[in-house]
Amino acid sequence: MTRPSLPLVPLLMGVMLVVFLLLPTLVILLHGLSGGFFPALLQPVVLDALKVSLVTTTITLLLTVGLGTPIAYLLARYRFRGKILLDTLLDLPIVLPPVVAGVGLLLTFGRNGLLGPALTLAGISIAFSPAAVVLAQLFTSAPFFIRASKGGFLAIDRDIEAAARVDGASNGQVFRFITWPLAFPFLLEGMVLAWARALGEFGATILFAGSLQGRTQTITLSIYAALESDLKPALVLSAVMVVVAFTMLGVVRRITARRSRGES
Amino acid sequence: MKKPLLFALMLFSPLAHAQSITVFAAASLTDAFKEIGSAFQNKTGVEVTFQFAGSQVLRTQLEQGAKADVYASASDAQFDPLVKSGLVNGKQTFTRNQLVVIVPLKNPAGIRSLSDLAKPGVKVVVAQSSVPVGQYTRQVFENLSRTSKTSFSQKALKNVVSEETNVRQVALKVQFGEADAGVVYTTDLTPGVRAQVKTIPIAGKYNVVATYPMGTVKGGNPNAAGQFVKFVLSKEGQNILKKWGFLKVK
Repeated sequence: MTRPSLPLVPLLMGVMLVVFLLLPTLVILLHGLSGGFFPALLQPVVLDALKVSLVTTTITLLLTVGLGTPIAYLLARYRFRGKILLDTLLDLPIVLPPVVAGVGLLLTFGRNGLLGPALTLAGISIAFSPAAVVLAQLFTSAPFFIRASKGGFLAIDRDIEAAARVDGASNGQVFRFITWPLAFPFLLEGMVLAWARALGEFGATILFAGSLQGRTQTITLSIYAALESDLKPALVLSAVMVVVAFTMLGVVRRITARRSRGES
Repeated sequence: MKKPLLFALMLFSPLAHAQSITVFAAASLTDAFKEIGSAFQNKTGVEVTFQFAGSQVLRTQLEQGAKADVYASASDAQFDPLVKSGLVNGKQTFTRNQLVVIVPLKNPAGIRSLSDLAKPGVKVVVAQSSVPVGQYTRQVFENLSRTSKTSFSQKALKNVVSEETNVRQVALKVQFGEADAGVVYTTDLTPGVRAQVKTIPIAGKYNVVATYPMGTVKGGNPNAAGQFVKFVLSKEGQNILKKWGFLKVK
């Protein structure tokens, strides 16, 4: 069979958008990776930012998966009153501008916020702490994971689970050996989406957690701060972000591709 | 066919308007310059569009080719390099400013003077050192350390919980009551802010005087830009600056 030749007009229009989408990324790489990448990478500002981002996003991701998987499972498998409403509300942070999320977090967990007095009484102070960074990331990224993993649980053929039960598997075993592995590509996609969103979080973090090197200054905040004084670390960090993002996406593509090949 | 073309012109060409200029101004000038802008427009018919941000941000933007007609900076340090590289013409010091400590109304840390910022456990918010006000703040800290022969500056900087990228963010965090204290310009005490914070003056012997230079940007509209600079320096412009708490140039 010969492949149909690509139609010209859509091709041209497509090329325009593709070039537009790729060019800025390539330019960042070119600038960031040219001369002095490693010296710039080893600057304390850069290393601190990488460390803060790595630690906070890891904690965020663990919380997201630990707390998000059950709710996604419940939403996918059970019917209860107000389910549609809950489903919609959980998507809200995806649509909210991050700065609004920051204001909301501040008014809730800030010293003068709704829970502020109680938290202060308990000796907990969240604003300006790494915990605030995690909360900002969790708020803006968890919905992405919930969405994706809910889709995963919905996509599984329920007959397979039923068959396992007939063979004497307990509910826990069914989840552990059937549901979880089958839904995993979806969960993984959700994890990557959520992680990427957490890594890129800016508006809520700068408002709620502030920006202090080595403590609350994540890669994104550090890029913003560096842009205002010294361009080189900003460009290096931007390039690092591009490389990391590309690697993550590549890994996920491979895993999901292998899994779907293995199944069929 | 005509309408989309017109729309495209409006999108891409600032020349579509009869006379208009863009002024890049330090964030601390926000309120005063907005008022000066409308007074200037009433008088000359020239429309003024402002971009307010930290002086260092505006400097970077100008260096990266941003289009503007006037640049007004909160410090010489963020202004002189642009004159040197030929991006900005002329330099007129047009106003001065000083620093002040602000605390939330309830004053949770019981701050009574600048030296209290070094007390253990006080949550201090300042601007990062690349921002003019951040630099001035550190200078004030140094002045107190030197005069009183203490390690005040070191201790106060240790209390810093966040370094903001412009002075208005510092004021915001104190207003929200998240920080125990912040250092801002006296002019940041706009009516809205003043109602929500307590002010603790910094004695003259420690305080720093910030001088604000402005000039016209190369490649802009030199006539209208020059007119704007002249207006800021005029009695009318100076009165508006005074109204917002700025000090006269000596």
